[in-house]
Amino acid sequence: MKNVTFKVLPGEIHALVGENGAGKSTLMKILSGAYTKDTGQIFIDDKEVQIRNTHDSKKLGIGIIYQEFSLVPELSVAENIFLNKLGVTGFWMKWGNLKKRADEIITSIGFSINPSLKAGDLSIAQQQIVEIAKALSEQVKVLILDEPSAVLGPQEIQKLFNTLKKLKKEDVAIIYISHHLSEIFQIADRITVLKDGTSCGSIPVSETDRDSVIRLMLGRSLDTMYPQHESIIGEEVFKAVNISLGEKVKDVSFGVNKGEILGLAGLVGSGRSETLRAIFAADKREKGRIFLSGKELQIRSPGKAVKMGIGMVPEDRKQHGVILSLPVKENISLTDYMAITDHFGFIKAKKESINTIDLIRRLTIKAENENQEVGKLSGGNQQKVALAKWLNRDCRVMIIDEPTRGVDIGAKVEIYNLINELAQKGVAIIVISSETSELMGICDRIIVMRKGQIHGELEKQEFSEEAILRLSLGVTTN
Amino acid sequence: MNPKTGLKKYLQFIIRYNTVFIFLIMLVVSALVSDVFFTSANLFNLIRQVTPVGIISMGMLLVILTGGIDLSVGSIVAMVGVLCALFTKTVPLPIAILASLVCGLVVGSLSGYLVSVHKMAPFIATLALMSIVRGLGFIFSKGAPVLVSEDAYALTDFGSGSLLGFPNPAYVLVIVFAITAVLLKYNVFGRIVIAIGSNEEAVRLSGIKVSAYKFSVYAIAGGLSALAGIITTARTAVGSPVMGVGMELDVIATVVIGGASLSGGKGSAINTLLGVLTLGMIGNIMNLMNIPAYSQQVIKGLIIILAVLLQRFQVTRN
Repeated sequence: MKNVTFKVLPGEIHALVGENGAGKSTLMKILSGAYTKDTGQIFIDDKEVQIRNTHDSKKLGIGIIYQEFSLVPELSVAENIFLNKLGVTGFWMKWGNLKKRADEIITSIGFSINPSLKAGDLSIAQQQIVEIAKALSEQVKVLILDEPSAVLGPQEIQKLFNTLKKLKKEDVAIIYISHHLSEIFQIADRITVLKDGTSCGSIPVSETDRDSVIRLMLGRSLDTMYPQHESIIGEEVFKAVNISLGEKVKDVSFGVNKGEILGLAGLVGSGRSETLRAIFAADKREKGRIFLSGKELQIRSPGKAVKMGIGMVPEDRKQHGVILSLPVKENISLTDYMAITDHFGFIKAKKESINTIDLIRRLTIKAENENQEVGKLSGGNQQKVALAKWLNRDCRVMIIDEPTRGVDIGAKVEIYNLINELAQKGVAIIVISSETSELMGICDRIIVMRKGQIHGELEKQEFSEEAILRLSLGVTTN
Repeated sequence: MNPKTGLKKYLQFIIRYNTVFIFLIMLVVSALVSDVFFTSANLFNLIRQVTPVGIISMGMLLVILTGGIDLSVGSIVAMVGVLCALFTKTVPLPIAILASLVCGLVVGSLSGYLVSVHKMAPFIATLALMSIVRGLGFIFSKGAPVLVSEDAYALTDFGSGSLLGFPNPAYVLVIVFAITAVLLKYNVFGRIVIAIGSNEEAVRLSGIKVSAYKFSVYAIAGGLSALAGIITTARTAVGSPVMGVGMELDVIATVVIGGASLSGGKGSAINTLLGVLTLGMIGNIMNLMNIPAYSQQVIKGLIIILAVLLQRFQVTRN
């Protein structure tokens, strides 16, 4: 990062946009004290300040909500919110007081979460809310949010925005980092675009539009974001009947055709991921039958699902999608060791390398070579590895949960192309996404889920953000 | 070249190959403080002493790579040692050896079953088996050492004999080491074991039967512990229920000195072998210097801390 200058005013929501690797996170880390700057100055209230470590940053009133959560799963919500004050205010835990204050903060931002619950038992969206409450438990002058909406549904995002507007009135300076331009135009006052570690200047939102921001970010216009594709849809390949999993999934049935891209929409907690995880046997389903080309399958483990030709790119890339500490080739080979080993399980090193290099080229994965650790790649390239794993085998059904979460626009387009390419080869594809526009852009058909049940189905000509939102909220059209 | 960056480079090199350096330092120190260390008699003795721990350490390495631990190994050595001695009195030697190995495999499989199928914490499952198996050793032997049958002279001859200047059991260690090293580097089994220790859920969602691999590593550790028990019995011509008390800790220590991470996913066979030799040398040299047994334990512990601190330094550096 070099010579970035930008100003945030009190009572302003300042959006920071840019592709992955543009320097947003680095800037954040400097402000939070995780990194120290080489040169440059930081001013708060016109006074120059020194941020040498995270403690300095906190004392100066800088609150940060990271993309990756920093909650302690085994502790309660209340303890997590006041984590840095535990042990400071006295030897004994004042449980009543702690819970009351935690509850107050959560209520003040428009949510309700029982402060006694363990953080680890919360949904990802709820964890995000606790994360925000934690930042607000201190007097903040500057609040930085890194992709806060990535895991929230439309309703929760709205609540988050209300909170931000409230903070704005209290003269907090807010830095909002996001890939979602629609949100930025809804909430931000000014936008700063970062590209290749430098700033392209700050523009008031009122003087610009989506397309010009995207052009600033990468010189690509919005039209090309969702590539056109001709769907050649064949007969039904996959059918799920009465999939159930406790309260989360209730009697869900649907089918997917050959070459079709089916979208699963719904708010956070509507049971989208849970349904597909139950089908893949990643979680034990209570009941439900699965058919592939009309034949019923007994899928009791992910291993069986894979064997039958079903692949799944899970929602949480870093925890479940890839193994960060292992090289690209070992991640990719994981789905199909049979192809690169002899009868005794010995690895044909050359074959493995050729196979991996081929996939690296096909997916334009930016890696030094096939031996580079996946953890050292950017988010978009990690996601490509998570996909490459499954291109490695011939899957007949592909489940892709959040194909482009936390991925920059350039890589997004490449991932969309890849999904289209798979569909064209006749793979039946099921996609989950929290971004409605993404589903509308790539899917042939969308099923909307609500409270663990299918609440409606839309054909391509019926697609509209409003229709999907109405179905996910359970509001009927007049 | 700037002398400071040159120094930094050397330092980084040393930290990276810390297991090798600790081993070399111990070697030099041993040579300096005792003039008997480098005699063939002492080296012969040293190698013979470390062989059982060395054999088990390869199994323990596999278990630790998956993120688990096996505390039952020392007890298996004792029980199998006793059983092997008893078997020699009733059945032909090859069958006695085979049956003893199977006993170890069964105990290891039991740990593996509890850990992989019932998702029991490895520490707890193997702690329970450590107690059960130790008790069984006493029950089978009625609390007294069991002499190996005189007809089984082939076993005792092998245990106490040597080939080309090296004790026979050392060749068993070399074979076990070679197989482990090859498995870890060139075989899918090793790959997946390491992957499980790195991120078990990601491996499961890739369609791999994680439980089968976890089961196997405990079974292998049990089998290798049995092998070590047979070799110990062969060397001493006695199966004793008090063999291998606290041995599990020595084995874990060697794997840790060898740079493996107890949370799994990191470790290698060659470094573990160096860890075995290092720990063996520490014991050996202290014996040569007539350091009392109690002080030996303190010093051994301190050296383990030192070795792991050096590895921590490496981690924080990255």
